[in-house]
Amino acid sequence: MNQLKYDVVVVGAGPAGMAAAIKAQENGASVALLERSSELGGILNQCIHSGFGLRYFKEELTGPEYAQRFAEQVAEKNIDVYLDTMVLDIDRKRNIQAINRDGILEICAGAVVLAMGCRERTRGAVHIPGDRPAGVFTAGLAQRYVNIENQKPGTRAVILGSGDIGLIMARRLTLEGIEVAGVYELMPYANGLYRNIKNCLDDFGIPLHLSTTVTRINGHGRVTSIETSKVDENLKPIPGTEEVIPCDTLLLSIGLIPENELSLKAGVTLNPVTNGASVDSRLQTDVPGIFACGNVLHVHDLVDNVSIEAEQAGIEAAAFAAGNSFTDSGELEVRPGGNVRYTVPSRIEPDLPVTMKFRSMKPVENGRIQIKSGDREVYTSKRSQKIVPSIMQTVRLKPSMLGSCTEPLTVSIVEEEE
Amino acid sequence: MKDKIYDVAVIGGGITGTGVIHELAKYKLETALLERGLDLAVGATKGNGGVVHPGYDPHPGTLKAKLNPAGARMYPRLSKELGFGLRRTGTLVVAYSDRDLKKVDELLDNAAVNGVEQVEKINAAQLRHREPHINPAALGALLAHTTTMIDPFEVAIAFAENAQDNGADILTGQNVTGISKEDDGLFHITASGNQYLARFVVDAAGIFADDVAAMAGIHEYRIQGRHGNLVVMDKGLKTPIQTVMFPCPGPDTKGIALIPTVSGNTLIGSTATMRSDKNDVSNDAEGIDELVAGARHLIPGADIRIIRTFAGQRPVALDNDNDFYIRESETVPGFIHAAGIQSPGAASSPAVAEYVVSLLADAGLDLKPDPDYDPFRQPKPDFSTLSPDEQDRLIRQDPAYGQIVCRCETVTEGEIVAAIREGVGARTVEAVKRRTRAGMGRCQSGFCQSRVIDILARELGIPQEDVRLEEENARILYGKIKGAV
Repeated sequence: MNQLKYDVVVVGAGPAGMAAAIKAQENGASVALLERSSELGGILNQCIHSGFGLRYFKEELTGPEYAQRFAEQVAEKNIDVYLDTMVLDIDRKRNIQAINRDGILEICAGAVVLAMGCRERTRGAVHIPGDRPAGVFTAGLAQRYVNIENQKPGTRAVILGSGDIGLIMARRLTLEGIEVAGVYELMPYANGLYRNIKNCLDDFGIPLHLSTTVTRINGHGRVTSIETSKVDENLKPIPGTEEVIPCDTLLLSIGLIPENELSLKAGVTLNPVTNGASVDSRLQTDVPGIFACGNVLHVHDLVDNVSIEAEQAGIEAAAFAAGNSFTDSGELEVRPGGNVRYTVPSRIEPDLPVTMKFRSMKPVENGRIQIKSGDREVYTSKRSQKIVPSIMQTVRLKPSMLGSCTEPLTVSIVEEEE
Repeated sequence: MKDKIYDVAVIGGGITGTGVIHELAKYKLETALLERGLDLAVGATKGNGGVVHPGYDPHPGTLKAKLNPAGARMYPRLSKELGFGLRRTGTLVVAYSDRDLKKVDELLDNAAVNGVEQVEKINAAQLRHREPHINPAALGALLAHTTTMIDPFEVAIAFAENAQDNGADILTGQNVTGISKEDDGLFHITASGNQYLARFVVDAAGIFADDVAAMAGIHEYRIQGRHGNLVVMDKGLKTPIQTVMFPCPGPDTKGIALIPTVSGNTLIGSTATMRSDKNDVSNDAEGIDELVAGARHLIPGADIRIIRTFAGQRPVALDNDNDFYIRESETVPGFIHAAGIQSPGAASSPAVAEYVVSLLADAGLDLKPDPDYDPFRQPKPDFSTLSPDEQDRLIRQDPAYGQIVCRCETVTEGEIVAAIREGVGARTVEAVKRRTRAGMGRCQSGFCQSRVIDILARELGIPQEDVRLEEENARILYGKIKGAV
């Protein structure tokens, strides 16, 4: 077995892992970057549409271009990259076991950055009734077939879920000559970014059906049709509203789940709402020296935010590995308040600056963000704005704003009358 | 193939047919198994909970009462010989009322008559000690200690591979469309354009057994399916269970059970409704709701995280007192029905096989033991169960074992290649899954499906678009989007 030792080991070389590895190396750490597939970039490699980098690079890039900018920096720096290498186990003492075609690697890490990303929810998770034929794909798998494997996954498709991957795939399939009969969304509002609804559906005349879901899949061997139904305010199908739509393909874009199997093996506590680790201001999990960033921490809508978050994790991990003892004044819990589904971090050190990230539960036209510690107001946004669940909100808090807080923070979105 | 005369042709590659061909392999015989699917175990055998019931349940005097306990007792030895997974869990039949407690006593009496040992009645405290999450309303239970869990499709493949190693022809993709017993005394069987000749036929075609018999002009019984929904839950549930748990049975079914599987998932199974369409193995929302309610009846706060739903049809021989239908045809000698193998078919299978072979002997088949018969099947490496040292050694022998293909279940390329090249080789994505667990985990093949297709295409020398999910018409891909790169 190969025994190795690094200051910082980064698990996953998608956008989060690459950014974390670069910053850890720039901050003096010896760094190993472990990636299970055969190239850097993660899911960005199959996201050949543009729209990435507007915030980070101030220009519009495709997924592979965005990934390439980071991959080039990784190549230029003294970072040991292990491709086709899968981490099987991590323990609380940051001993990592990985495998690749050379055998088992045992790596002793000063600090670990978890950057494994997320996976797609499947048919089973929402248990759509009916037959179980071929032709039911998660949107990301279909994207891989089309954009990486050059394979046609069907001829006439229905898409369930208006998440961004589903919207992007509606356009992609159309451009590749695969008819898209419609996009169906359980909720009364679309889940994806507004620009994607405009650019991927409206521009191509693809209908979006809200408050409608797929209630049955038909077909022996291959999908022959699906049945849709309207849903009531409790999201239950309304009998009598069934419609049968002939198609050979059903794409599912019904949510992403952070991929935290390894985090659990390491003893990291997860936030039940995000399914990602519960972290502090430094993005450190409750296991000392193990940090998390990107979609494994919470599902982002913009990769630019992933990179920015991951850079902090890289810097913090390098500091931890260098033996900087984190002498914190104590931790404050952060709680989601009214119309807030979750916050990251879920606990903070009041003497550190922190970027509070959170999402609303439902859309509001005029919402004001309010952060309080007990009765004390820590932050209130200056003006009200439209706030939707599909767009992550961020608020930067300085120690001066938090200094004397002793009670847990509550983050709320308060709806205002016009 | 026309020139070869088989002593026995077994029709159907489920756990019944493969059990029979495995049993026949012990003798000096020419045998063939004809399966219409592209893989074995694609009917009721894959739509099944996998519980090896010890046999306290069947009514004394039935074939079930005889074959279920006998079959169950054979499993531990078979597991060692054939290298399939077996997990001893025990069964609890949970009582919520005085009426239920009486039913437990009845089952205990039944067990005694059926010769099933290690069955006892336990009180509420003992029950809670064994299963802490159990419904607090439970008053006690029957505890059958010897219940084991299997993956029935794994057992069927193991049966067939051992038979193949001992000379049997295991022929998939052979859809039988005609059988006639001719003047030469032989059965002439037409299957997918091929002709096969056999002295004896065993009809183990599951839900379609009566249709196969009808091809030979036999109309002695009818099969109908009793449909059941099942769901698979994730590993690592917050309310784990160790024991198969049933409520006390109603008049028609055993009720909704919680089932801890060999692989560490928990199943909820299964509903029971008669269906007229034999091909209908779809799931219905009402059935899934019934399963969830059933699970919550056993464990009120059950952590229910479903990763897959599936369904099967139990082949029920009508007007047969709910029993198996195993006998020689009254009208066509040499044609053996191994039919109506509903629950507890998986548990009974090894004993069904012995019984069928005894019927063949009664019908005139000459059984000479084969001195070269080898009862052991060489197991293939199961990477995720090896120690790091063993894993390291395996990768150094073959680097394909260092390439993880299915990340949820830690399945390597080496295992997938072995599943395709060795034994009754996998030809479809689902066949790879049954042999290696690739795609069986919580991402349900979202990550590995394209990689498995690539490996199948490479190993079988076919284009990716010719790889099938399960059946011949289960096309996954429709060909290249753009011309050759």
